[in-house]
Amino acid sequence: MGKYSIGEFEEIVMLTIAILYDNAYGITIKEEIEKRMDRKVSVGAMRTALKRLENKGFLKSNFGEATAVRGGKRKRYFRITESGKQALDQVMETRKQLWEAIPSISFDFKFI
Amino acid sequence: MSDIPSIEPPRLLIRFLRWFCHPDLIEDVEGDLLELFDHRVQKSIRNAKLLMYRDVLQLLRPDIVKNIGLFNSKNNTAMIYNYLKSAWRNLIKYKGFSAINIFSLSIGIAACLVIYLFVKDESSFDKIHQKNIYRLCEIQSFPGTKVQNVALSTSGMGPTMIDYFPEIRQYTRFWSMGSVLLEKGGRKITVENVASADTSFFEVFDYPLLHGDRESVLDKAGDIVVSEKVANLFFDRTNVVGEFFEVDGLKLIIRGVMKDVPENSHLQFSVLLSIPTRIESMTDFNTQFGNNFLITYFVLNDQADIGAMSEQFPAYLRKASGNEEYTDRMQIFLQPLEEVHLASMDIEHDYLNHRKFNGVYIKVFALVGLFILIIASVNFMNLTTARSGSRAKEIGVRKAIGAIKKQLFSQFIIESILLSFIALLVALLFTYLFIPLLNNAIDRQFSLLSVLFDWQVLTWVLVGTVTLGVIAGLYPSIHLSSFNTVKILKGVRAMDKKSMFRSTLVVFQFSLALGMIVCTIIVVQQLNFMRNTDIGFNQDHVLLVELNGSAQAKYDEIKDVLKRKSNVLGVTASGQRLGNNLHQYGFKKQGPEGVSSFSPSHIYVDYDFLSVYDIQLKDGRTFDKSHATDEGLSFIINESAAKDLGYENPIGAKVGHGWYPDDSLGSVIGVTKDFNFNSLHHKVNTLFISLHKDWGYSEMSVKLNGKDLKQGIKDVEEVYAQFVSDYPIKYQFMDKHMEELYKSDQQLSSVISIIAILSIFIGCMGLFGLASLAVQRRIKEVGIRKVMGASSLGMITLLSKDFMWMIFISFMIASPVTYLLMSGWLEGFAFRVDINPIVFILAGFVSLVIALLTIGYHVLKAVSANPIKALKYE
Repeated sequence: MGKYSIGEFEEIVMLTIAILYDNAYGITIKEEIEKRMDRKVSVGAMRTALKRLENKGFLKSNFGEATAVRGGKRKRYFRITESGKQALDQVMETRKQLWEAIPSISFDFKFI
Repeated sequence: MSDIPSIEPPRLLIRFLRWFCHPDLIEDVEGDLLELFDHRVQKSIRNAKLLMYRDVLQLLRPDIVKNIGLFNSKNNTAMIYNYLKSAWRNLIKYKGFSAINIFSLSIGIAACLVIYLFVKDESSFDKIHQKNIYRLCEIQSFPGTKVQNVALSTSGMGPTMIDYFPEIRQYTRFWSMGSVLLEKGGRKITVENVASADTSFFEVFDYPLLHGDRESVLDKAGDIVVSEKVANLFFDRTNVVGEFFEVDGLKLIIRGVMKDVPENSHLQFSVLLSIPTRIESMTDFNTQFGNNFLITYFVLNDQADIGAMSEQFPAYLRKASGNEEYTDRMQIFLQPLEEVHLASMDIEHDYLNHRKFNGVYIKVFALVGLFILIIASVNFMNLTTARSGSRAKEIGVRKAIGAIKKQLFSQFIIESILLSFIALLVALLFTYLFIPLLNNAIDRQFSLLSVLFDWQVLTWVLVGTVTLGVIAGLYPSIHLSSFNTVKILKGVRAMDKKSMFRSTLVVFQFSLALGMIVCTIIVVQQLNFMRNTDIGFNQDHVLLVELNGSAQAKYDEIKDVLKRKSNVLGVTASGQRLGNNLHQYGFKKQGPEGVSSFSPSHIYVDYDFLSVYDIQLKDGRTFDKSHATDEGLSFIINESAAKDLGYENPIGAKVGHGWYPDDSLGSVIGVTKDFNFNSLHHKVNTLFISLHKDWGYSEMSVKLNGKDLKQGIKDVEEVYAQFVSDYPIKYQFMDKHMEELYKSDQQLSSVISIIAILSIFIGCMGLFGLASLAVQRRIKEVGIRKVMGASSLGMITLLSKDFMWMIFISFMIASPVTYLLMSGWLEGFAFRVDINPIVFILAGFVSLVIALLTIGYHVLKAVSANPIKALKYE
């Protein structure tokens, strides 16, 4: 895992941001996760995850234009950074290695 | 749908979010929430708002909340830790000082805690009642007796007042019966505090009923309500509605069971009878205005104007009594229920006022508690400033490496708060340990634990401790943080000068302590005076035996048998007990201008009354069996009454009870010297004594031989049991009863003396610390003087001179203030000691000696030390 340590929820958040590409801000991320994963996401939990990921350098953000909706508040759009991409890769890589290391007999349920 | 934009999210919530949220995040977080809100609002406004609350609360996380105050930089936490560490090291390093500091502060806190318990207990009386309740009192000004406020009223006042005054919503009357022997299934038990009351009693008062209907429990003749305790006593269960007792052949049916009356209720009763049970033969009960024997309570509506009502009282009295002159002798007033317990000291015949207490004492105690706390915090301030020298280097170094004044200030404040918390813990321990002793001394049931687990009290205690720490630490902190860095580090010890401020504090402390000593001495003197004053009759070894039921009828036989016992010196009986305000009754006297009436105190007695109580006759003779007219027609009066009658020689003067026809009055046969039948708070009132065997005596007085009281009591018990089977014997010694008259004063004196000892103790601890510093400061000077050949005595004087001045100034300040205070207190006694100036000198001398002894340890140590040691190092 090394320097690219991320948790399961953080991984989901990053993947969702990647999916949304240039429309990834608070609400859309939350709704996308809720839609795809069929789970509730609290604003607080997501905010914490976003902040942590940004602090780790996996995400970067910039403000969009102010609009009349949202009480005139700007949206903060998130993007995956280079190291964020590496972190995701590494997670996938380690998973793959784990999968490959499983002897086929482990999943042979016939005799049980 | 068009009005959606007009729906606003909760404004306060947004403000809250803006307050706690990290400024970097707030804009888009708020935007997100508003967007979400807009989405949700289309489904349900309520849900949208609720969900927004939930979301905001879920945002309260460490990563999102901004840093506030103390935590805004990690360095601060480390600093506070460092402050605590250096505070702790200083505590350990100067163990003696720390102990004095903490110990005196904790005594102060403990005293305050105890006084808080006391005040809380006393002011909790009658708080369970919710309604606007008043007690009816009378101001009686009968001729021939002093004017007095009494807590009694006639039975006619309640029912007629509720008709006359629209402000009165309800009334109830409470009529004491004393102890009654109840019988159930062959078991006879004397139950104390029995009374009768109107059916409205449980509507006026909020005493909780466990069983039965509040509005009708006392409706009919024979209805009674018993307490839980009585129910358990007779039936071993509480739901006993429908059961009955028999008393003198009367059937009393239990209609209700109430919770035991709490200790903090001025009315104490365990059984209540309905009024109709007692008045079957009294047809004028609800209209009569002649006899004052019960207490009336009213519930007024909330708009009632007491002032306006009071103006109506005379007109009402004249109309309701049908007597135009009624108000010449009688006024009435309403006393609010909350004043009954603490503000009834000027009210007499106030027998149903459980643990009546002088409310002024409460204020005195609270003030005294505050004083003690002040003395203790003064110690703290004094010692901390005085010891600043030892911290100088530390302050210098801290300043040199960049500590600003504010930081040093907060360091010392934190230190002092820490100390006051340690003191609090010690104080709690003290209180816990000493409360049982105190409870014993002042006859209370305080419990520390019961209040400490009350979160409200706990909050106060904690807030109070912090405040105390801040206040006590304020001056030292300012003082310490203002040191000049360069001077300190150069080694100039500028801070060890004599300080005017410190001296003032010591003077203040000692003034308080001195004042307390004087108060204690005077209070004790007054109490001793009251105990030792010749009250005019002999109360020693007199056993008072209640005469109830058949005992009353068999009194004569009992007396005959008792008189033959060798341990019994005399037997008599009376209708009332000496040591109370004897009731006043209407009397008549034959003057030169015809018969006139007046109302002296009156007691009816049996033969031998004067000899048993050793009451001295000034003139005339005592009651004698050989005179047939002595029963009912002979009167013995006291000197005051003789003066009031106006005869040169009162013997033979024609007098009689108010109802005697004018032409068949009795005559005065003797005049006694004035004796204090009431407590010494009061002047001796005019008194008439007469003899009425047929009225039935309520109490027998047996004078026992002091040499063998045990045997005497045994004899009385045996003879009583021999004649009386229906009532168990109940007795009390006269001197015990007299002591109860002065209980409140006695308790005051206990509290004052404890406080005086504490305050002088705390003051001395402070002085001890200061003296040690003062001596240390001059140790070189002492060394040089010694080398030059100064005498020890000279040096002792030199070192203690300053302190003696302080004590002297305290004496000058404390004496006049205390004098005024104590004169005020003594006003409350009709018979009192004069304040002797010697008392002040004595107190001043005592505090001087104590102070000298305290500082003596340091002084002698310095004087006897080897001067070389003091001078060796420079």
